[in-house]
Amino acid sequence: MASVDQSPGQRSPQGGVPARRESLRDHVFRRKPVTAMNAETGVDGGEGELARTIGLFQLTLFGVGATIGTGIFIVLTQAVPIAGPAVVWSFVVAGTVAGLTAICYAELASAVPVSGSSYSYAYATLGEGIAMVVAACLLLEYGVSAAAVAVGWSQYLNELFDNLFGFVIPESFAQAPEQGGILNVPAVILIVLCTLLLIRGASESAKVNAVMVLIKLSVLVLFIAVGVTGWNADNLSNFSPSGLDGIMSAAGIIFFSYIGLDAVSTAGEEVKNPRRNMPLAIIFALVVVTGIYIAVAIVAVAAQPLDAFEGQEAGLAAILESVTGSTWPGTVLAAGAVISIFSVTLVVIYGQTRILFAMGRDGMIPPLFHKVNPRTLTPVPATIIVAVVVSLLAGLVPINFLAEMTSIGTLVAFLVVSVGVIVLRRTAPDLPRGFKVPGYPVTPILSIAGCFWIISDLRAVTIYVFVIWVAVVLLWYFFYGIRHSTLRRAGAAAPEATS
Amino acid sequence: MTLVVGYAPDGRSRAALHLAGALARSAGEDLVVCAVVPVAWPPGPARVDAEYRDHLERTAREAFEEARARLPADVHADFVVEHARSAPAGLLDVAAAREAEAIVVGSSSGGALGRVSLGSASDRLVHSAPIPVAMTPSGYRCPPDARVTRVTAAFGGAEGADDLVVAAAGLAARFGASLRLVSFAVRPRPPYTAGVGRIGDEAAVDEWVEAIRAAADAALADVREHVPHAPDDLDAVIGHGETWDEAIDDVEWDDGDLLVVGSSSIGPLRRVFLGSRASKIVRRSPVPVAVVPRGAAAELADRAVHDEEAHR
Repeated sequence: MASVDQSPGQRSPQGGVPARRESLRDHVFRRKPVTAMNAETGVDGGEGELARTIGLFQLTLFGVGATIGTGIFIVLTQAVPIAGPAVVWSFVVAGTVAGLTAICYAELASAVPVSGSSYSYAYATLGEGIAMVVAACLLLEYGVSAAAVAVGWSQYLNELFDNLFGFVIPESFAQAPEQGGILNVPAVILIVLCTLLLIRGASESAKVNAVMVLIKLSVLVLFIAVGVTGWNADNLSNFSPSGLDGIMSAAGIIFFSYIGLDAVSTAGEEVKNPRRNMPLAIIFALVVVTGIYIAVAIVAVAAQPLDAFEGQEAGLAAILESVTGSTWPGTVLAAGAVISIFSVTLVVIYGQTRILFAMGRDGMIPPLFHKVNPRTLTPVPATIIVAVVVSLLAGLVPINFLAEMTSIGTLVAFLVVSVGVIVLRRTAPDLPRGFKVPGYPVTPILSIAGCFWIISDLRAVTIYVFVIWVAVVLLWYFFYGIRHSTLRRAGAAAPEATS
Repeated sequence: MTLVVGYAPDGRSRAALHLAGALARSAGEDLVVCAVVPVAWPPGPARVDAEYRDHLERTAREAFEEARARLPADVHADFVVEHARSAPAGLLDVAAAREAEAIVVGSSSGGALGRVSLGSASDRLVHSAPIPVAMTPSGYRCPPDARVTRVTAAFGGAEGADDLVVAAAGLAARFGASLRLVSFAVRPRPPYTAGVGRIGDEAAVDEWVEAIRAAADAALADVREHVPHAPDDLDAVIGHGETWDEAIDDVEWDDGDLLVVGSSSIGPLRRVFLGSRASKIVRRSPVPVAVVPRGAAAELADRAVHDEEAHR
């Protein structure tokens, strides 16, 4: 552990490098010492040691529950027109890359005895500057994905209204401007509702959470069971209209439906025999989730011709209706989607506010973000700011762009994590790791290559916007974070106390 | 046996600490000062919010320093941080784990100063606790050596009221306090248009007052007969008024008073169900209130009658 604690500032300056540059480098690569993290999180006492209670089966279930159903309700509409029925392979590609990155993340998480998001792990191992890049990605993975699922929710809500009451929210108030609307009002309302709950300090009990997972699963099973009756092999005749390129581009969008899998990686501390169970659980969860996704996708592409997907709203419900010719299966599916997506949005916004809280504590963003209301014990200002930004995104930006931004953010975050695994093996080879990536160095290299491959096939505009976004965050870091960093101020007050 | 004190991590629970100190000293009990912070969420082993929750726990522990300073030195107190989905749920968990005899909480900060007001947390607590819940009026303070000097039981003469009286007598015996029964006769001013004036009502209320007086005397006689170590100072009073406020102010209240209110006769046996009269009394009380669920009242009464040991 000593090698991680060592401050880069203590290394002898390289000759010829101007002092000012050297100090900038020190800032960017300064790492949060693990001991400081322990003191802060109180894990040095006996209670911080979590008992290893989670077995393989439980961990697999947790992975399935955390992953399934976020994106599958909404991604087909975007992915199928690109890849055709070969979208099935896109799921395999996206799932494989997600699995590789999750396994790499598990090593990083086990190497640093802290808990938190990948931002916290990056701060402890790769330095402040990289942590900021990861944070920029996490803002996409959480904030933007919240907006994306909210837009999907609004589609299913509209479908439900239509079926139940014969009433549809007018186009102007249910679509983003680019798609001929003014503001996606239901999506904004969903965000506001979630925010109010979070400000009050609402949380989902384990029971409610399990019910939500069950609803998602049963809705998908319903879709497969009913949708398969509309099987028409003709729809599969042109299996891969755009070839490999199409498959890869679609994989980029679909990656969105695998976020949540990384939650398994951070559970290392509590897992029995993590060396064996961690990769197995990730693989089993992936097989289950990918299997369900592929079943859904193949049923969907067999049920209707390719061109029907383009611009289809509340896709799964619409397919069921056209297959059965009656509205009830679509209504049940839409109802299930409306309930379970609500819960997903709540969880994602919650995660976002807590990540911002951690950043605020570290001085990377203004202290406003780590202000906690003493009565409700919730970070009220952070929650409101997140709500405003996410509502604007959900109300004004079309869903395919939101989904792609989420995917690229998640992909880059895990690309950094995979690089981090290799870096850490070189810089701190003796660090005790609760879990090591099997097949090192092939696994992290494959993971990195997979991420690059998917990213390179995303739309150019997505990549540009992402690069600009990261640049903005880094500018922010150089003008604000670097000077306000709690680590820097602590360092200035008391010169480096290494353990 | 212990008393569990609900302590908000914001450190605004001074009233509850004061009352808990006085109760613990009177009853010779220990305290468990409990701060409830939110559980890990979403459920599962992932901890995206680790920094956040650790911050909450640390804030709570820091607030304990202040609590320790405020508690009188002769009262033994444990301090625990409980992770739970809500404050009432956390307090009930701790109370169950420690086999506590009662839960002590403060008033909602939204209420009028000097009266008991139920916030969302205390309201739920009062309706779901299997043990008595003691609440302070808003802004309640007492000197560091305070004791409960008089237990005042709200007496409505209904079924189950005898248990409450005996339970209150047992408490008074344990506290070394006197016992008083209080009933409230509220005679609303009739609407001018009703024609009949007050005459009709007046007679009904008078009759009720007679009946309740007789019932209270009978209950006190019962206490004298059956409760060993029953306080010598037994009393029954009736507060009159046109409104509940007037009726409650009509009775003389003392700094060392603890008002004991039973749960309504409807509602589950083990839990508190505040009837309309009980909740009117609780919300207007100028002194600390203990709301006693029927099941707990029966248990306390049983102990008061049979268990000589309890009376030192």
